[in-house]
Amino acid sequence: MESQIHKIHQQLMDKEITCTELVQEKLNLLKANTNNTVNSLLDKQALKLAANVDAKISNGETIDLLEGIPFGIKDVYMVQGTYTTASSNLLKKYKSPYTATAIQNLLDAGAIPLVKENCDSFGHGSSSENTIFGAVKNAINANLVGGGSSGGSAVNVAKDYTVFSIGGDTGGSIRQPAGYNNVFGLKPTYGRISRYGIMAYASSTDCVGPIAKSIEDIRIVLNAMSGKDIKDQTTYQAENISQENILNSDEIKTVGYFKNFINTDAIDNEIKADFLVSIEKIKAKGIKVKELDFFESDALVSTYYTLAMAETASNLSRLDGTNYGNRIEGKNLKDTYSITRSENFSEETKRRIVGGNQVLSQGFSDEIYLKGLNLRDQISDNFEKDFKEVDIILSPVTPNTPPKIGDSLKDPLAMYLSDAYTVGFSLGQLPTLTIPKGTATGLQITAAKNNDELVLKFANFLKDTI
Amino acid sequence: MSKIMTVDILSSIKGAQPSETVNKLFDVIKNANTTNNNSFNNNHNNASSLNDLRNDVVINSSDAEKQIIIENFPKEKNGYLVVSKVIEE
Repeated sequence: MESQIHKIHQQLMDKEITCTELVQEKLNLLKANTNNTVNSLLDKQALKLAANVDAKISNGETIDLLEGIPFGIKDVYMVQGTYTTASSNLLKKYKSPYTATAIQNLLDAGAIPLVKENCDSFGHGSSSENTIFGAVKNAINANLVGGGSSGGSAVNVAKDYTVFSIGGDTGGSIRQPAGYNNVFGLKPTYGRISRYGIMAYASSTDCVGPIAKSIEDIRIVLNAMSGKDIKDQTTYQAENISQENILNSDEIKTVGYFKNFINTDAIDNEIKADFLVSIEKIKAKGIKVKELDFFESDALVSTYYTLAMAETASNLSRLDGTNYGNRIEGKNLKDTYSITRSENFSEETKRRIVGGNQVLSQGFSDEIYLKGLNLRDQISDNFEKDFKEVDIILSPVTPNTPPKIGDSLKDPLAMYLSDAYTVGFSLGQLPTLTIPKGTATGLQITAAKNNDELVLKFANFLKDTI
Repeated sequence: MSKIMTVDILSSIKGAQPSETVNKLFDVIKNANTTNNNSFNNNHNNASSLNDLRNDVVINSSDAEKQIIIENFPKEKNGYLVVSKVIEE
């Protein structure tokens, strides 16, 4: 199977390259890059770790598969001693006191972190323009956005600056930038990977996931990060997915798609046509395809944003310049909190905090927030019903191709609506993978909860079918 | 807390106003059909089982962790870190 990780592992073992050369080469590329993907480089530590790997190899010791593999980390993950800014002014000098569980698992496996990657501030955005480090430029066309919120991570993988990167996905923030930059990006089932040490945006849908150039690399990194963690009580113990298991997709008999995602004026004509061609190719392989009914896009987007804003208002209320953050003194303590937050949060973050406090406040919570929760339950029920009839749900990743840099900031409603195809699966907490095939921004493969293996199986099948 | 608080006070953001764009999203929710099920009585909650809770023990942070926490504190007074206080009014 195609895999950058296996290839580099073999090159290291065969002494075709040294780990130090490999890491230095990637650091040079990251440093010189003009796509604004880097918030900070972890060069000293990376070179030290690389030297350890080289010493092991020259001693004739064997190394594990992930040992010495350079990777990137979205700048919302705690890595002890590194700046963790969430691309925000408020935390631009904040240092992580501890390391996130998912990242620690990768460090334990021997992978080498190179870079904290640019993203939308606190995950608030779909274009990676809402950042103090400059808009992330798309890997394929630098006039277009890199997608978001994990834009820097997707562009780094697409450009081969990192072998894989760890993004964060709350409403599509791994899948959409993966689609915009033609790479693979997985949002696993909620709870499969610990959230401990990721800066919380909307805790009920926040997911840790890998972005990479092959299905095999997604599988390897997913396995390394998964597992029950006492520090995140929503985690569960998932079984490792073996390479052998994803090679055979015979058990997939029926695939469904949401007809209202396709039969709408909101979708780009070419994406629609390409999606329908992909469906025909799947049918030609003898798989039954079923059209499914689903909620309208505006209901999905509104439900997601209502709940996400409520959760982020609560999660970010701790950021007041007291225990950390760029404190700005006012005439009294209350004023200090207020100035610190007003001056340091971006417009988009403020919009979401205010929206969240609106829906949580007395008088509005019944009418909006509780109704939003109720809609979420209906969406989850709908998925449960669908997965009794189909094995996989296939959908486009986005209704349109990436916008030009600058356009999303001018029209936030259009940006929210561009998440129409990703947010539903987030609310359902389902495993969903973007593959760079089928349409200009890829295809999204979704299975029932805890069935991440089936997603990878079908991806493998599609890779050869489309 | 019976008095009406505006969103700028609730959010601790000076001059904050509800956004028209966000209100459009809320209007969709207001007009949506919901079922009569009580949202707190559903099968989709993420609560941990009582048998699965971690032990109630104090775990000490490492020295490195404590040092960085102190470094991150924005304000120090007479050798003490200044922490937040509850504002009651």
